[in-house]
Amino acid sequence: MVWAWLIPVISFAVVPLIILFGKRLPGKGSPLAILAILAGFAIFWVVFAGFLSAGPETEGCDIGVGTKVLTCNFQITWFEAGIPGADTSGFDRIEIAWGITIDPLTVSMLGLATFVALMVQIYSLGYMHGDPRMDWYYAFHALFIASMLTLVLADNFLLLYVAWELVGLCSYLLIGFWHERPEPREAAKKAFIVTRIGDVGLLVGILLLWSHVGSFSMSETFAAVAGGELSDGVVTASALLLFLGAMGKSAQFPFHVWLPDAMEGPTPVSALIHAATMVAAGVYLVARAFPIFSASDTAMLVVATVGLITALGAATIALVATDLKRILAYSTISHLGLMMLSLGAAGYTAAIFHLLAHGFAKALLFLGAGSVMHSTEELDVRKMGGLRKVMPVTAILFSIGALSLGGIPILAGFWSKDEILIAVNNHLNPVFIVLTLLTAFLSALYMARAMFIVFYGRFAEQFEHVHDAPPTMSITMGLLAVFAVLFGLVALNWPGAFDGIGYFIIYEKGHGLEFVIWLAAVSTVLAIGAFIYGYLAYARKSVNLEGARRKFAWPLKVAEGKYYVDELYQWTIDRVVMSLSRFVAWVDRALVNDVGINGPGDVTRGLGEKLKYHVTGYVYSYVLVMALGLVGLAIFWWLVSR
Amino acid sequence: MNSFDQSALLLTILVPLAGAVLSMFLPRNRPNDAWYFAIFVSAITLIISVVLFVGYDFAAGGYQFIRIYEWLDEPLNIDLHLAMDGIAATLVLLNGIVLFGAVLISQTIKHRTRDFFVLLLALGSGVFGVFVVQDLFFLFFFYELAVLPMYLLIGVWGSSTIFEADRQRLWGIPLPFDLGSYNRPKEYGAMKLMLVLVGGSVLIWVGILALYVASDQAGSPTFSMVALGELAKNGAFSPTFQNWVFPLFMIGFGVLAGLWPFHTWSPDGHVAAPTGVSMLHAGVLMKLGAFGIIRVGMVLLPEGAEAWMPVLIVLGTVNVVYGAISAMSQRDLKYIIGYSSVSHMGYVIMGIATLHPVGLTGAVLQMFSHGIMTALMFAMVGAIYERTHVRDITILNGLMKRMGFASFFFAIAGLASLGLPGLSGFVAEFMVFTGAFKTYLPLAVLAVIGAALTAIYILRLLARTFFGEADPRWEGLTDASPVEKTVGAAFVLILLFVGIWPAPFTRVINVGVDSVMSLF
Repeated sequence: MVWAWLIPVISFAVVPLIILFGKRLPGKGSPLAILAILAGFAIFWVVFAGFLSAGPETEGCDIGVGTKVLTCNFQITWFEAGIPGADTSGFDRIEIAWGITIDPLTVSMLGLATFVALMVQIYSLGYMHGDPRMDWYYAFHALFIASMLTLVLADNFLLLYVAWELVGLCSYLLIGFWHERPEPREAAKKAFIVTRIGDVGLLVGILLLWSHVGSFSMSETFAAVAGGELSDGVVTASALLLFLGAMGKSAQFPFHVWLPDAMEGPTPVSALIHAATMVAAGVYLVARAFPIFSASDTAMLVVATVGLITALGAATIALVATDLKRILAYSTISHLGLMMLSLGAAGYTAAIFHLLAHGFAKALLFLGAGSVMHSTEELDVRKMGGLRKVMPVTAILFSIGALSLGGIPILAGFWSKDEILIAVNNHLNPVFIVLTLLTAFLSALYMARAMFIVFYGRFAEQFEHVHDAPPTMSITMGLLAVFAVLFGLVALNWPGAFDGIGYFIIYEKGHGLEFVIWLAAVSTVLAIGAFIYGYLAYARKSVNLEGARRKFAWPLKVAEGKYYVDELYQWTIDRVVMSLSRFVAWVDRALVNDVGINGPGDVTRGLGEKLKYHVTGYVYSYVLVMALGLVGLAIFWWLVSR
Repeated sequence: MNSFDQSALLLTILVPLAGAVLSMFLPRNRPNDAWYFAIFVSAITLIISVVLFVGYDFAAGGYQFIRIYEWLDEPLNIDLHLAMDGIAATLVLLNGIVLFGAVLISQTIKHRTRDFFVLLLALGSGVFGVFVVQDLFFLFFFYELAVLPMYLLIGVWGSSTIFEADRQRLWGIPLPFDLGSYNRPKEYGAMKLMLVLVGGSVLIWVGILALYVASDQAGSPTFSMVALGELAKNGAFSPTFQNWVFPLFMIGFGVLAGLWPFHTWSPDGHVAAPTGVSMLHAGVLMKLGAFGIIRVGMVLLPEGAEAWMPVLIVLGTVNVVYGAISAMSQRDLKYIIGYSSVSHMGYVIMGIATLHPVGLTGAVLQMFSHGIMTALMFAMVGAIYERTHVRDITILNGLMKRMGFASFFFAIAGLASLGLPGLSGFVAEFMVFTGAFKTYLPLAVLAVIGAALTAIYILRLLARTFFGEADPRWEGLTDASPVEKTVGAAFVLILLFVGIWPAPFTRVINVGVDSVMSLF
């Protein structure tokens, strides 16, 4: 199990190899990256098996404080700073470890990340075929997944932050991969800066915890929280600060703006970002730091509320978006919101379950969209239609993803969504469950809309010569589709094999599959209803939407305008931030430099100019000054002596 | 102790100095010979500095490689006392590396080459001197030796900036608070740098004399920093005395460290200076100031330091945020790096002012990290300007396509500058934040925000300058020369090394910090 560190390290190791020698290697080094992640995927199974057979008596393993689940830690010192030999709890020395922690959460994330990354990298062979910078593409991919794997393995907050930032960097590099065009360039910058603003919160939160605990180790921090060593204010403050970081990475309102633009990157990158790496990090962080969050009711309520606002807002935008990848992007934001909502409602298992189920389905959907884009070079859904005629494999696989995400029973998305509904129903105000159900309905509706507009209905003639996905692309999509269909079954109890996810990914205590009949019934009716309506409205076109569009023209416009959050940010940057910067630069020049520094120089030179005319060389003028001086001294002496 | 250990510190000073003197006798009209000779000399100093750094026994700690050459007796008591602790060891290594890099990059100097290297090597010698002496008189001597050549180096080999730009407009009206066009001749940059730094020197000199007089009153007049340190430890300097002398050093040395509001010589000076000089200047010379505050101010006047640190940390925070905000709207590549240096030196000042062991370790590591990073940036900007004759980032575009190596190296330095983990800047800044968090929490938060602002101007610069379509104007551009590639690759490797495995540095710095912090 200790070999888990190899999973990210192998991928890290191939990065310099691809950068240095990629041009000369077959496939520009892409096989190296794929083999590395394949090895990682293989080791994952070894680690998984090792973890399942481990117990508290296994070396390095124990029952985690706070989380109360089996946790294994292995570490070596990375560096230390401060007074040599001083006690770290005295804050005069810090000691940072390269350490890994393995618990059910980590194992699940490792599985998701390695599998999706493997699929995406193989898919990219077809998708990126012939790109002149294939070597860089795969180097960035390897670095990306290696960082993400480090993030989920890290046993201390600093290492987590290191990986966190590297994940951000890689998404910057990959979103802006086609930097020749201005849109990817701007999108990449936006992604980095927006998430970086959230990261300020994360780093401050980490340091705040350190300044009260004296350690960056997660287990020690959780133990301190569980032991009540920290005041409520500190716990709440640090939870909210950590959540700021999570909001940035997981694209929660109001930091969601970078994710829709991030689709400017190559589509496989979007699949990776949306399913298994970048955005998953935020949800993972909240789950990882759950002992801190659950110790503060305020923090939990904030997480739930932000999650709900994000989920509902993004779902409404997804419903009116016209760009296929944008629909999927807002769908991701919405589902991430649901995961946060679930965490805020103490639905720990449900959130992670949904993260996994959503990951498979969303990767599949993005790869499907990539397949469509690859052959049609079109993303505007209004121009598409009936594509199943020319690309049947993609159509079927995409539909599976859409149905799964829409929550159609027995598909993976249905089970996880149901768990979330139960958690929300049990722990939060009734308003939450009503709005969550509404979100679930919208979520099914926009998936239905995307799927029916693009692949069904009347065939758009201009796509006559479009071809279906090549094997590297369709096989990977097929494998993901298997998971999108069957993954929900892990929720069930399989006697003798697996007790169900409710006994595996747990916080404090496990519970079997919960099933609230009325919730399941309502959500199923909503989901199926949404798909039927979608079929009628978008495939058969038997429902006329024009009347509704006219009636709701104003809200429609607002939603289509994405609630104008982007405009607000742009205005703030252009008008406020840049004006401030220009003002400061001007102050620096005009006041600090020209007055403060040049000023004394100018005065000195000016005085010299003035005074030099008094050095006349005439004896009588000197005598006059001497005489005046004498008189002055005499008066002075007389005044003083009086 | 073998003979090398005994003379190693003297060699760091003498080798470049002898190199400078010998260069004077080289033929005037063979620039390449002067360059080769300077490479030879700086390679030797690099080797010595590496040997010194590796040879420093961090388990034993304290001052090592001690050697005292007596010079003047009573009542002055001035000796050339050489010694190196963990802090100095790190900075000696930094100077060795950057001096070598700066000499290599100066291949492009074709005008009065010989004289250029005479001054550059003399400057390098002075910097080594400051780091390794334990006597205030010689400290001041070497300090001036490091600073004075700057005037000629900028004034003769520098470049003037004429920047044409329309004022930003809001609803058609030109903004009053905008730079617009400006014209900054190199003579102005050189003169300002000189006068401001010499102004700082005056304060330092007054402080040194005050210490001498105070030691006289305590019974044993001396310039020796060891003896003065003992006096300070025994409480020979009254708190009132310390409270008025410390600010002399704080401001005097602070000027060279780019302390706000005395920083404006730095962007103008860096912009006007030729590439190699900018590298040395921003890379090493600014560190002399911070080093002086630690070595002279904090060690000799601990109570004064304690009293003034709240002021210093506020100024340091202003440096960080103000520098970053100023850099955001600059359009000249070199000005962006100049203001970025102001901002990054702010972290050094903050780390010092925390009076926290972790913060101080961070400050020293930041000196090293920033030295390499900013030198790398200036080297690559020099390479770009050499070829395009443009430094305006709104005009440069798509350089990645033509100058892949230069762009790549610059981008790595930029990422180090915005505090990306895995590169040296993060580890150092993180330690500064840690120290500040325990001592001045609100300012620490501001500093973290400052690091996020860095991301804005660095990414803006990268996006405008390097990314984008291949520009037809840069059709015939060549990539970095072999020398530039060597320097770039070496510096990038150092940034990565420190970022990934900082332990060899922190364990050496830790012991130096330990002895300083034991005074508080």
